[in-house]
Amino acid sequence: MVAAAKLRKAQDAIVSARPYAQTLGKIISEVMARSEPGSLGHPLLEQRPAKNVEVLLVTSDRGLAGGFNANVIRRVSKFIKEEGPQYKSVTLSTVGRKGNDFFKNRSTPVRKDNPGLLAKVKYESAADIAQELSARFAKGELDAVYICYNEFRSAISQQVVFNRLLPFETPDTSSNATGAASVDFEYEPSSQEVLNKLLPQALAIKVYRALLESVASEHGARMTAMENATTNASDMIGKLTLFYNRTRQAVITKELMEIVSGAEALK
Amino acid sequence: MAKLNVEIVTPEKRLVQLEADEIIAPGALGLFGVRPGHTPLISVMAPGLLTVRDGATTQKYFVSGGFVEVGPEQVRVLADSAQTPESIDVAATRKKLEAAEEALATLTGPNDLAYEAAVTSVAREKARIAAAAQK
Repeated sequence: MVAAAKLRKAQDAIVSARPYAQTLGKIISEVMARSEPGSLGHPLLEQRPAKNVEVLLVTSDRGLAGGFNANVIRRVSKFIKEEGPQYKSVTLSTVGRKGNDFFKNRSTPVRKDNPGLLAKVKYESAADIAQELSARFAKGELDAVYICYNEFRSAISQQVVFNRLLPFETPDTSSNATGAASVDFEYEPSSQEVLNKLLPQALAIKVYRALLESVASEHGARMTAMENATTNASDMIGKLTLFYNRTRQAVITKELMEIVSGAEALK
Repeated sequence: MAKLNVEIVTPEKRLVQLEADEIIAPGALGLFGVRPGHTPLISVMAPGLLTVRDGATTQKYFVSGGFVEVGPEQVRVLADSAQTPESIDVAATRKKLEAAEEALATLTGPNDLAYEAAVTSVAREKARIAAAAQK
């Protein structure tokens, strides 16, 4: 029941984050579509052969949530095992204690842990993570950054998502879906300046959304897990009660038999 | 006369949606006013006061940066964070400003990312105090 209340709150948070993310996405595709291809550059857009790769793993701080943490951890392990060898190095940064605990003693180094921000997901903390990652990306220490988290489908279903954060994927500008109705905006100070501000913001929003989705999924998963636990426990109680009554009846019957047979023998 | 449809959203929630005659936003190149029929414009915002005027009533919000998307009939304000000037905690802001200034004093190179962060933080907190003072 506690998880149910938290779940509703987390869901509300996802919904209220939506308008900002949508408008921001619209402005970015607007800026990209309006400009000549190649005229706008940004460090976060730069594609280069991936050598050093980082995965941002989002788990929960606490367990007892069914397969919630195991699923993302398995996905990341699979990535490290199957695709890891083609990169020079794969590092991790984690949000949530469970992921950190799991990878702490494994061969893949956890470069940065971001503890204690899941209790109350704030935009600022997501922005900090995004800023740290993009600074390292811009410096060339990282060539690609991925994020792995549980996406919230419904209270009973979560899906593991494994996405690329950096280099930033530009929205598809070739399709004229946005271009058709769009107006020619003026930019202040300039379209490049606007883009410089937009991209880090958009990245922070992506991380923020991932955190919110993950938190909502966690509560959903925990609710389901707890419900299953309750059902299993009451099943077990039923079975045990039956067993107890049977045994008790057997003992009574046995004693009665003894008394009766004893009385028979005295006759 | 046509009215502007003003929407102020922050990453965490949609703050307000209202009709207005005019808004004055703190653009990166200085304050600018928007009335209905404005040419489409996307501008970066500096930390400062955002004024929304509807008839005789005016509302003010302190925004710590972000974007404004202006269309002929609507204005979308994407603020990093927004609050009313009354709700600014001046003492806490002063403390933050001092911390940021201290951090700035220890940093040297302007190429440093932390330096940049400290500079923007100083500017933001100064603007916040100014906003609280002139409500």
